[in-house]
Amino acid sequence: MKLLSSRTGAALLIVTALGVPISTMASGPVETPEHIIGTGAYPFDTKDPRVEDKPPIELPDSVMPKLEQLTPEEVEFLESGDARRFAGSLEDTVEALEKRTPDEVTAWVQSMQYMVDRNRFIEGRDLPNIPLNTDSPKFNAWRLQRPRSMDPEREPGPVELGRYDGLGGPPTFGNFPLALTRGDLVAGEVDVAILGAPLNMGSGWRDSGERATVALRLQGWPIGSLDQYVQIEASEVLEIVDFGDVAVDNASTERSMQHVRDVVREIADTGAVPMIVGGDHSLEYPNVAALADVYGKEKISVIHFDSHYDAWWGGSGHLINHGYPVYRLINEGHVRAADYIQVGLRSAGPDKTGFEWMREQGMRYHTMAEIEHRGWKAVMDRIVAEASKDGRKLHISFDIDVLDPAHTVATGTPVPGGLTMREAITIVRRLCAESNVVGFDLVELHPALDPTYATTLNSVHIIKACLTGLAMNKEGLTSSHYLSPLASEHAIDDYYGDQQQYLDATTAEEEAAEEP
Amino acid sequence: MSPRGTLNPNALLALILVTLLVQYGPVYGEWSVPDELTEKMTVLDDGQQQFIMSGAILDFLPERQLEHELATRDAASLQKFVDDVMSLAVEMGYDPQRDMGAMPLNLNSKQFNRRTEPTPAPLRDFQREPGPFSVHRYVFPESGVPTFGGAKVAIWPEDLVAGKVDVAIIGVPNNMSSGRRGADRGPNEMRALNTISTPDIHSLVAPFEVLSVVDYGDFSIDIMSTERTINHVTRMVAETAATGAVPMLVGGDTSMLYPGIKGVAQTQGAGTFGLLHFSAHPDADRLSVHTISDEQAVFLLLNEGIVEGSETIQVGLRGPAVTEETLQWLRDKEVRYHTMSEIRRQGFNKVLKRILSEVTRGPGKFFVSVDVSVIEPTEMIAAGRIASNGMSTQDLTHAVRYVCAAKEIVGFEITDMAPMLDVSRLSAVNANAVLNACLVGMAVRKAGLKPNYVHPLAADHGQR
Repeated sequence: MKLLSSRTGAALLIVTALGVPISTMASGPVETPEHIIGTGAYPFDTKDPRVEDKPPIELPDSVMPKLEQLTPEEVEFLESGDARRFAGSLEDTVEALEKRTPDEVTAWVQSMQYMVDRNRFIEGRDLPNIPLNTDSPKFNAWRLQRPRSMDPEREPGPVELGRYDGLGGPPTFGNFPLALTRGDLVAGEVDVAILGAPLNMGSGWRDSGERATVALRLQGWPIGSLDQYVQIEASEVLEIVDFGDVAVDNASTERSMQHVRDVVREIADTGAVPMIVGGDHSLEYPNVAALADVYGKEKISVIHFDSHYDAWWGGSGHLINHGYPVYRLINEGHVRAADYIQVGLRSAGPDKTGFEWMREQGMRYHTMAEIEHRGWKAVMDRIVAEASKDGRKLHISFDIDVLDPAHTVATGTPVPGGLTMREAITIVRRLCAESNVVGFDLVELHPALDPTYATTLNSVHIIKACLTGLAMNKEGLTSSHYLSPLASEHAIDDYYGDQQQYLDATTAEEEAAEEP
Repeated sequence: MSPRGTLNPNALLALILVTLLVQYGPVYGEWSVPDELTEKMTVLDDGQQQFIMSGAILDFLPERQLEHELATRDAASLQKFVDDVMSLAVEMGYDPQRDMGAMPLNLNSKQFNRRTEPTPAPLRDFQREPGPFSVHRYVFPESGVPTFGGAKVAIWPEDLVAGKVDVAIIGVPNNMSSGRRGADRGPNEMRALNTISTPDIHSLVAPFEVLSVVDYGDFSIDIMSTERTINHVTRMVAETAATGAVPMLVGGDTSMLYPGIKGVAQTQGAGTFGLLHFSAHPDADRLSVHTISDEQAVFLLLNEGIVEGSETIQVGLRGPAVTEETLQWLRDKEVRYHTMSEIRRQGFNKVLKRILSEVTRGPGKFFVSVDVSVIEPTEMIAAGRIASNGMSTQDLTHAVRYVCAAKEIVGFEITDMAPMLDVSRLSAVNANAVLNACLVGMAVRKAGLKPNYVHPLAADHGQR
């Protein structure tokens, strides 16, 4: 963008002066429902049913002398739920009143009213939105897509960047060929398009950005390689491409959402599985919304691997951050809460209200408490069965903080006590093989926080587990917890007493492979 | 894309073009279609030709590439190419029917303005007399709750007034650097290192013995929006400065320079003090889509007249944002800038002399600001917007100490140190050294010493 200057404004005026209607010239993405345009408000209800006013209290007669200088409205406020945040329970309130003079009580109550008022949105006092400089001639520069005509003509389809059978070029995810347009995906009959999404906003330690997607390319060469456990090589079975990075505005998550949704939709619309690697967990919202655009509202189930349930809402003035995507998806009707499965929760929330809400909504959740109580194998079988039910289309949203920080220290909001890599690889491979997976994302990788690169390495192998699973699915290896009999047992002696079973299974697979 | 046939020549066009080109002062004004390529232009319609001849197309590709395209493409390919780039030019601007023009907010949230209001006095549980207080149990503490330089803590303006505080050090942990992020951890890391308040080797002045310095905590930020952060920070800085204490701000990314200086200006008066800004980056982006960011901080301050261009000195410029157009803009604004090119050619001592003479001629008061990107990366690997070939910490601390001693300082700010990018913690050590240099300078001034004072015992051993 070095050359960009005010002359762009000139260009705009020139084209406008020539009488070309802007709407016919714009080659932007297709219309999307729920797109916030202009300075419009958020077009959905924002009331959170979980936020209930605390019950009011009734003050005893004994403290009435202390209230003599208060107006009836002030007394009513002091007894209301709103005042409880400051004044506490009935007992606390009485105690606080008793140690104050009537003058002090007035100042105390008025301060509470002031704070309640200050925290709320008040029309005229507070801006209902965050304005942008709409006069900027480079308003959309960040998301302008390069027309094909700017580069030498080539036929559509994935492009090998290397000189040696595709190798030796700049690093792509898994050394897979590069695709940049819908036409490339269609022409290449692409099964999986891996999209980098360097959104670097709502995380605790937010240093992620482009380096998460780049780090996954630098270290991600094995993601399509042979999986020893199941003897499947994803790159042999599937057409996989690097779909480049999607543009984001790293000064506004909200502004990035629509464009990410457009690009993910573009992938899903071709029938390919979008595999989005990021980037912070706000991305779950545009990813799943895009799938709902393609497959229909309430037609997708989502399995959310995370130490956090990410269904918070209303704790700030914002409508999206990395703690809100689940609630926003449900709020906008893309996914039913009952079609959500949560795995690995263990952070400081949800609290009782949050869990009660999840139960009322019929949301499935499998916390670390359940895993501690039942054991991993039992819980994994339950999760895979739930996720595979009725062949429903499934999106996997994998926040690497579901893993124990021993494996993924470089993440925005790590929480100790999580899954191991052995557990995670297995369940991700199983889900991608046994369920009807139509979308996958891996988020919250922040490579700079881990000078050992281990977190990136582990993220790479989660992605590999899903690619392997998708390849197994295509090859029909969808039986429960399939593992290669050949790789699982040397079968020289009958140590475990089931040697014959492995020999038979191995023979059967060899015979099946020989059939035309 | 509309059919090319609808692009009709317009009589107004030439006038609009001339007006615009004059107004925007084309940097590529000398560029015109090379003679040998003019014939290729005839396959294009009027609108397409104007798009090229006006130079508007050069927003999207360099001249040499354009000339290559003109020379090598056939008619159909050239028409398609120019059409496509013209549609980019159209799509680049804001369309209220297509684009989000403002980010909507959750108006139902009971915490819409979360943490933008300090707790009013009647709601404070803990009662104490105003004044700075120690967080330590011991008279000579070695460790404990980390504060800047082990300073006492102040929470409210009345603490600053009661303690006749000279300097209030404040964290402003905004984390929106346009480079690498993580500067939100800067203030606490600089507290934790406890290397501020070191005696100065030149003057042997120990700043905390001369100045009343406090740790004034952090100012609250909205983690998702710099736009929503600036009003609160501006107000708090103004409130701090109004007590007579000098706000010493620790970022946070450099977008916080804007509310930092604006807040001071609300107390001191806009245009009453100069700005000495050490940074690799000019921060003078004039076309940004967002209304505030680190890349715009200096532009906004100059544009709004909060500081005067002629009283703004920038030192250490280099890196991706230093373009011909930006330097021209700074020069037109009469900003005194000193690039790394000048420092390389003249040597730092000569440049420093020039800077000091500019400071001396400038207004009586100065705000000193350091974006740590100014420092050479070997000494500051944790700079958010890192740029190779910078100033040495030694040169920088020398300049900062001198100016803070020579002038009345109305505010100081250090920004964009993201500590987790440096496992060695050296970056935080050097950031503290820079902050301490200004404290030392202010202490030297208060002690009535000259800015270049060297204590005889520090000069040499004095033995024959």
